Amino acid sequence: MRLIILGAMILTIASAFVLYSSNYDTRQLEARVSEQERAIEKARGDIAVLKAERAHLGRPERIEPLARGLGLGPASEQQLAATPDVALARALGARDGAASKKKGN
Amino acid sequence: MEARPANAETDGGEQGDGVLEPRAANGPLRTLIATLVMALAFCAVGAQLVRLALQSQGEISASLNETVAQSFARPDIVDRNGRLLATDVEAYSLFADPARVIDRDEAVEKLAVVFPDLDRNALRKDLSDRSRRFVWVRRGLPPRTAQAVHNLGLPGLDFRRELRRAYPAGMLAGHVIGYVNIDNKGVAGIERYVDEVVGVESVQGATLAERPPVRLSLDIGVQYAVEAEIADAVDRYQANGAAGLVLDVASGEVLASASLPAVDPAKPNLDKDRNDKIAGSTYELGSVFKMLTVAMAIDQALVTPETIIDVRKDLAAGRFTIKDLHPLRRPLSVADIFLHSSNVGAAMLALQSGPQRFEEFLRHMQVLDVMKTEAGSVAPPQVPQRWGEIETITGSYGHGIALAPLQFAAAASAIVNGGRKVMPTFIKRQADAGVADIPLISAATSDKMRVLMRRNVAEQAGTGKRAEVRGYQVGGKTGTAEMPGVGGYREKAVISSFLAAFPMDNPRYLVFVLLFEPKATQETAGEVLASRNAAPTAGRVISRIGPLLGMVPTQAAAAGGTGMAFDAASHAKYEAR
Repeated sequence: MRLIILGAMILTIASAFVLYSSNYDTRQLEARVSEQERAIEKARGDIAVLKAERAHLGRPERIEPLARGLGLGPASEQQLAATPDVALARALGARDGAASKKKGN
Repeated sequence: MEARPANAETDGGEQGDGVLEPRAANGPLRTLIATLVMALAFCAVGAQLVRLALQSQGEISASLNETVAQSFARPDIVDRNGRLLATDVEAYSLFADPARVIDRDEAVEKLAVVFPDLDRNALRKDLSDRSRRFVWVRRGLPPRTAQAVHNLGLPGLDFRRELRRAYPAGMLAGHVIGYVNIDNKGVAGIERYVDEVVGVESVQGATLAERPPVRLSLDIGVQYAVEAEIADAVDRYQANGAAGLVLDVASGEVLASASLPAVDPAKPNLDKDRNDKIAGSTYELGSVFKMLTVAMAIDQALVTPETIIDVRKDLAAGRFTIKDLHPLRRPLSVADIFLHSSNVGAAMLALQSGPQRFEEFLRHMQVLDVMKTEAGSVAPPQVPQRWGEIETITGSYGHGIALAPLQFAAAASAIVNGGRKVMPTFIKRQADAGVADIPLISAATSDKMRVLMRRNVAEQAGTGKRAEVRGYQVGGKTGTAEMPGVGGYREKAVISSFLAAFPMDNPRYLVFVLLFEPKATQETAGEVLASRNAAPTAGRVISRIGPLLGMVPTQAAAAGGTGMAFDAASHAKYEAR
């Protein structure tokens, strides 16, 4: 009888210990999960800011003066030609010419 | 735990009843002690539970008393090609807990250094109310300003992370986008549509929305080109304002909708002269309206473009006399009436149809009823109370009836697209969505109108000849409408407009340009006529947006290609740099 009681007590203590340690592990994992979630949240926030900044830097209002400063201007219909086979191929060289022909068609 | 051995012993005692007398005598006492210990332990646990429950209840009620910082997480708004127009970013909002602010005056003075425009008295008053636990000081701070406040080291001040709407493209398409309030809730324009139809998420703190972006029909490139060209026209013709619209005549998608002076969605400005001139205001549009009159007369088989009408005599309408600006003093064909923009001719065509049928036709063309788009209701048209002869005459050349340019453009699209009804939309249509095919006028009428509009630009005598862009087969109609003033029309104050479509053999896009109160300049030969200012502006717009929209000019198409590329000369120019 005593043996059974002793065994039960040991079992109780052992299971309490297992329970405590798994509880401790769970808490630790929970802390890590929430830490990761915070990191994800922060990364998402940062991405949103970077996306906004990228769009802000690429806005036409900013690009236009820069492009004009480089001597560029808006494309006009006079610059468009649909004869990539001959003239353009010559101008672009063999490799580039092949690529643009593919794109043009 | 203490109770267990006691219980076990008690059990043991009971089992051994009769065998071990002395222990049995102690049995009831031990059981009593064990029961008492157990009861005490349970009481202690219960008391602790009650205490915890009461304590946490107290915390909840305290936080409910505070202003709950509720905000709305909104989906991004992008243009048709996915370029960002509006997004949520995290911002810091500063609040104070008056009960914890130690030196009120010091706090106010130090904060005023960081925020020079701070209302010191209001804040001092807010902070002196010690019963409040929450007072907003400033919301939506950029990180640098938040850091500056943090560095002041003032007790009782703290930050909350909130979402703030950002518009990376600045004022581009400001009227269409609309704006949000301080809680990030849409108030006007597409932002309001996002709230009402797409949906926003109510959040505490700064949790970004998970929803996919709202894809507009606008094209940032085209929008910017239109804004730049009409801004140039405002300078060039010293106009008070201008507006430009690009519409896909098949799907009704608005590719650009610009109105100057512009508005910044980040700083809502409700000045009347900053109204949206495309959808938010109505105007008597003048002669561009003759498109509808002539289309009606042809569609009702009253005339053909070749029918000759005698327009030599001025037309009496009540106490007014209708006359032509440049009378030709000869009978004109219907085509000539359109090309020379004859008021008398248009009035006679409308009279031939009669007031009732004229009104019915306009209603059929969707210009008399309120129109709605995703950006809200289009300004309701102002139409005559009753349609008599006078209203029919003035209406035939675009006076006495005021409507939003967007609504007129929708009707004009139907005239050039083969007669199909067009509903303007600011949201990109799915490629496979299809468009309802509701005929408004016959395809034959549409063909004839396209020929007339093309002739108006291609021929030397046409009023729209300055809108010609080589290779794009532009067609269109001018309109120079005097603006109503006190007690009548103001003679020199006009809205000059040009409604164009291209390419006229199979129109894809409609371009509508309006200039408000342009002045006579040397460039316009001292005139304020649309043929001198609005038409060339429309030409410049088309020349600029055609390549952006991938339209192949006819000369290039005739050369045999179906695709598009820059010609050799242009390429050589880039290579040389």
